Amino acid sequence: MFTPRKLLIFGLVSALVLAFVSWMFVSISDTFHGYIRSSQTKHIASLAESIPGDPEAFSAWKERVSATDKGLKILYLAGDPQGNPVLASTGPEDEELLAQLSASADYAAAMESVAYQEKFFSKTSYLVGGRRIYPVYVPLMDADSNVTGTAVFMGDENEARSFDKLLLAFALILAFAVLAVLGAALFSREPIVGYAILVLFVIVGAFVVYPLYEAFKLSVMQEGRIGLDLWRKILAQPKIWTALRNSCLLGLVTASVSTLIGYVFAFYTTRTAISPRRRRVIKALATLPIISPPFSLTLSLILLFGNNGFITKKLLGIGSGPIYGLGGLVAIQTLTMFTIAFSSIEGVLQAIDATTEEASMDLRAGKLKTFLKVTLPLSLPGILSAWLLVFTTAIADFANPLLLAGGFKVLSVEAYLEVVGMSRVDHGTVYALVLLLPTIVAFLVQRYWITRRSYVTVTGKPSTRLYDLTSPPVKAALAGFIVLFLGFIVGMYLTIVAGCFVRNWGIDYSFTLENFGEAFRRGGKSMLDTTTLAAISAPIAGFLGMTAAYILVRKRFPGKRLLEFLILAPFAIPGTLVGISFVLAFNKAPIVLVGTGAILVVAYVIREMPFGLENGSSTLRQVDPAIEEAAADLGAGPSAVFRTITLPLIRPAFVSTMSFTFVRAMTAVSTIIFLVSPNWYHMTVLVYNYSENVKFGLASVTSVTLIAIVLAAFGVIRLLFKQSVMLEKSGTQEA
Amino acid sequence: MEKKSVSIRVDRVTKRFKDPSGGKTVTAVDDVSFTIEPSELVTLLGPSGCGKTTTLRMIAGFELPTQGKIHIGDDDVTYLPAHARDKATVFQSYGLFPHMNVFDNVAYGLRIRKMPKAAIAAKVGETLKLVGLEALASRSPGRLSGGQQQRVALARSLIVEPSVLLLDEPLSNLDALLREQMRVEIRRIQKALGITAVYVTHDRTEAMSLSDRVIVMRDGLIKQIGTASDIYENPQSKFVAGFVGKVAFFPVEILGAEGSGYACALKSKRFTVPLGVAGMAAGSKAAVMARPESLRLGEPGTGLLEGKVAANIYLGSSVESFVATEFGDILVQIDDPTSKRIWPEGSPVSLHFEPRLVRVLPED
Repeated sequence: MFTPRKLLIFGLVSALVLAFVSWMFVSISDTFHGYIRSSQTKHIASLAESIPGDPEAFSAWKERVSATDKGLKILYLAGDPQGNPVLASTGPEDEELLAQLSASADYAAAMESVAYQEKFFSKTSYLVGGRRIYPVYVPLMDADSNVTGTAVFMGDENEARSFDKLLLAFALILAFAVLAVLGAALFSREPIVGYAILVLFVIVGAFVVYPLYEAFKLSVMQEGRIGLDLWRKILAQPKIWTALRNSCLLGLVTASVSTLIGYVFAFYTTRTAISPRRRRVIKALATLPIISPPFSLTLSLILLFGNNGFITKKLLGIGSGPIYGLGGLVAIQTLTMFTIAFSSIEGVLQAIDATTEEASMDLRAGKLKTFLKVTLPLSLPGILSAWLLVFTTAIADFANPLLLAGGFKVLSVEAYLEVVGMSRVDHGTVYALVLLLPTIVAFLVQRYWITRRSYVTVTGKPSTRLYDLTSPPVKAALAGFIVLFLGFIVGMYLTIVAGCFVRNWGIDYSFTLENFGEAFRRGGKSMLDTTTLAAISAPIAGFLGMTAAYILVRKRFPGKRLLEFLILAPFAIPGTLVGISFVLAFNKAPIVLVGTGAILVVAYVIREMPFGLENGSSTLRQVDPAIEEAAADLGAGPSAVFRTITLPLIRPAFVSTMSFTFVRAMTAVSTIIFLVSPNWYHMTVLVYNYSENVKFGLASVTSVTLIAIVLAAFGVIRLLFKQSVMLEKSGTQEA
Repeated sequence: MEKKSVSIRVDRVTKRFKDPSGGKTVTAVDDVSFTIEPSELVTLLGPSGCGKTTTLRMIAGFELPTQGKIHIGDDDVTYLPAHARDKATVFQSYGLFPHMNVFDNVAYGLRIRKMPKAAIAAKVGETLKLVGLEALASRSPGRLSGGQQQRVALARSLIVEPSVLLLDEPLSNLDALLREQMRVEIRRIQKALGITAVYVTHDRTEAMSLSDRVIVMRDGLIKQIGTASDIYENPQSKFVAGFVGKVAFFPVEILGAEGSGYACALKSKRFTVPLGVAGMAAGSKAAVMARPESLRLGEPGTGLLEGKVAANIYLGSSVESFVATEFGDILVQIDDPTSKRIWPEGSPVSLHFEPRLVRVLPED
C-alpha cells in the first residue's frame, strides 16, 4: 500500500536504478563509439595509402571506393595545403562541404598538420544529409615525400547510432522491468500475486498484443510511411468482398443447421427419460469429431463422395459428387461443429430448473405448450450463444474449406493462399484482419450481451431432476434422427479406417498393409514431434489458465478487466491471423522463434489459455472463498494457498484444460500451418499434403494414428488423475 | 498454550466499497473506533448490512480499511496481509478444506508453520480431543454433521494458538439446541485459553450470553458499547433498545429534568421516570421504553394507560399478556403465574410502569 515511507524508498531506489542504467548506457555507448571510430581510422589510413597522387585518376578511384563504402565521403584538395588548395573533386555538395570545413575552427590547424605530413582528426562534426560526420584530413604525398594535396575523409557514425537506439531500448526495458518488479514488491500486499499479474501481462503483451500490432502495422505501413494504400488497393478488388460474403454465408448456414441439430441432441439427452448409459454413448460419439484431426471427416467425405469416391464413382458411376463448394462445406462443418452447439445448449437445458416445467404442467399446459412457453424461451439465450459460438468457429474454419471449397472462396483460405501461394504476406494479413471483424463482433456479443440476458447460470452442476417432455412418437422421431446422424459419423470414421488398408482409393481397391509402413517411415518423426509438443503445451496452458483464473476471480487489482480481455482475446481471433502475425512478429529481433518448436508451443498455449481461464473460473466461482481465506488465516501465503488449496479444488478444470489443450494441439491446423518448419512438422499438415497429392492411404493411416494417440493420452490422463476426461464443456473446435 | 494476551485497537476505521454495478460508493463502516482488552470477548451485534462482518474482516486482514488504523497488540497491522497476522478466524460457512480429511484440516496451520511431523500428530490428537472429535480424524468434512464441522473449524483455528480469535457468525448454520451447546463450549475454551476474541452475530441472545462487552452497530456506525446488562437495561437509543430485546415505546413530552430522570407527560397524565438519557430539553418529544417485565397490570383506571387483554400465552414459567392499547398491542410478562392474578382475555385492564426499570430515550 502507498505509505510515505514506501513511496520514499521507491523514489530513492528508482533514482538509483535510473542513474545506474543511464551510466551503463553512456559508458557502453562511449566505448562503442570509440571502437567504431578507431576501426574507421584504421580503415581510412589504409584507404589513404591507396589514393593515387594524380588528381586526374582520383575521380575513378573515389567512385570505386564509394561503391564499396557507402557511408564515406571524400574530398580531394590539390595543391599546397597552406596555400590555396583547389577542390579536385566536383559537385555542388562538395563545394558546400568545403565551405563548411574551411569556416570551421580547426581547419587552419588541420591544414597545418597536413603540411607537416601528419593526419588530423577533427573533433568538430558536421551534419550532412541528416548524418553526423567527422572529417579526417590526410596528406597526399608524391614519391619524394612532398605534400601534393589533402584528402578529407568524412565517415559517418550511422552504425554507432543504430547501436545507440538498440542500447537505449534495452536500457529502457531493463529500467522498466526493475521498477515494475520493485513496485510490485513494495506496493502490493502480496508481492507474489503482483509478480504473477506482471508475468501474465508480459505473456499477453509479448504473444497477443505484439504480434497483432505487427500484423496491423504491416497492413498500414508501406516503405516506412503510414497510409491506407494497401487497404484501399485490396478493398477495391471484388475478390475480398466475395470471400467475405462467402465466409459470412458459410457461417450463417452452418451455425443455423448446427444449432438446430445441437438442440435436438441436447433436448433428447436432457428432456427425455433415457438411460444414463445411452446418454453417455451419445455424448461419446458426438465428441468424436472434436478429438479427431480436422481433415479426417473431409478426407472421408472425399473418399466416399469425391471425384473418385467410393459411392459416387464405384457405386453410382457418376463422375463427381456435389461435395465441393457451399453444400459440402456446410455438411462437413455441421458434422464437426454440431457438438459445440450440443454441449453448450445441453448445459443450459440442464441448468433450467425442472420445477418451472412442472409448474407449467401443473397449471394444465400440455407438453408441447410447456415446451413452447417455458423451456424454449428459457433456453433462448443459450441457443443464441451456441449459434454465435458455431458461427465464429465456422467462419474461422480453415481446414475444411482448404480441401473442399473448390471455387467457393472464403477469407481464411484466401489469406493462406496469399501468404503461402503468392508470397504476399501483407495481402494475406489484410485478409486475415478482415476476417477478424465478424469473429470479434460475434465474440463480444456472445460474451458481454447474451450472457447478461441469460436466465440461467451454467455452473456445471446439472440439476439432478429432469422432466420428460416428450410423447412416445416424438421421442421415437428424435431417437431415429440421432441414430441416423451418429451412424453417418461412425460410418465416415470407418471409411477412414478402411482407407488405411486400400492400395489406391478410387482406382484399385485391393487390400494392402503397405500404407502403414510407408506412413510411419515418412511421418514417424512428425508424429513424435507433434505428440511431444502437445504434451509440453498441455501442462503449461493448464497451469497458466488456472493461475489466471485464481488471480482474476479472487484478487482485485487495477487493469483486471484489460488482462481478462487480453487473455480471452485469442478465443475470438481466427487461427489464420494468429499464425500470420506470429510469423511476422517472431522472425526478427527481439524474439526470434520462427522455425523452432517453441513457437508452436507458444501458439498452442496462447490459443488455449482462454479455455483454461473460463474453465478454471467457472469452477472456482463455485468454491466458497472462505476456504481459501481460512488457509490464509492459518498463515498460508498466496502461493501456498494456490498450491495446497485452490489448485487441488479446481483440479477437474485443470485436468480438462490439459486434455483439451493436448487435443487441440494435436489437431491444430490454421495457426500452425504457417509455423511448421522441416524440423518441427505437424501431423495434420502431413494429412493435408497427402490428401492434396491423392495419397489417401497415407492420409488415412496418419489420421487414424492421430486419433489413436489422442485416445491413448486420455487413458494416461485418466490413470494419472483418476478423472475421466471431460470434453463436454469444450468451447470451440479447432478452426 | 501459555501466550500473552493482546489487545485489539480499531482506530477511526472507515471502509467504502465501490458498487460494482453502479460505480456508487457504499460506506460499509463509518469512522469506527473501539478497543478490545486482552482476554476479553467482545461481540459485534447488529442487523445484516450494519458493517459488523466488514469490521471483523478488516481485523482479519481480508479487507483493507479505506481510512484508519488497526492494531493487534502493539503492532500496526493495517496493511499486513491476512496470512501474516497472529490471529485465527472461524467462518460462518466454516471454510473447511473439502479435499482433506479432519486430521489434515486441523493439521493445516501447523504444516504451514513447518512443524515436525510427530509434533503435529500429537498436537492434532490433543486438539481433536478438546473438541471431542478424536474418533472422526479420518472422515472427510462432507461426511460430518453441521455441529461436527463447526468443531473442526474451531479446532483448526485454535491449534495454531493465535493471539486473537475471530468468529464470524460461527453458529448461524446450526439448529437451536446445538447452538446453545456450542455457545457454552466456545466461551469455555476462550476463557480457559485467555484468548482475545471478536464475535460477530446478529443474534442478541448469543451476544448477551457470550460476551464481556457488546458493540451494537447500525449502518456502519457504532450505536453503543457496553456490557450485556448495560445494553439491555440502559440503552441509549430506541434502536438499541429494540434490537437487544422485546420492548414497547410510549411517546411522551419532557416536562423537565429530575435527578438523573425526567418528569414526563403521557398525553395528559404526568409522571416521573427516575432514569433516562441525559440532555433532553423540556418540551421535547421523547419515548418511554418499557420491557415486558417492567410492566404490571391493574384494575381499570388505576394506572397510566387503559387497555384490554387481547391474548394470554402460557409459557410455563411465565405468562405473556398482550394488551391492546391506543399505542398498539403491548406485551406484559407475568412471572410466577401460579401465584399471580392472570386477567382473562377481553377484560379491561390498566398498565402500570415499574419506575426502576423503565427509561426515557430520545426520539430517533
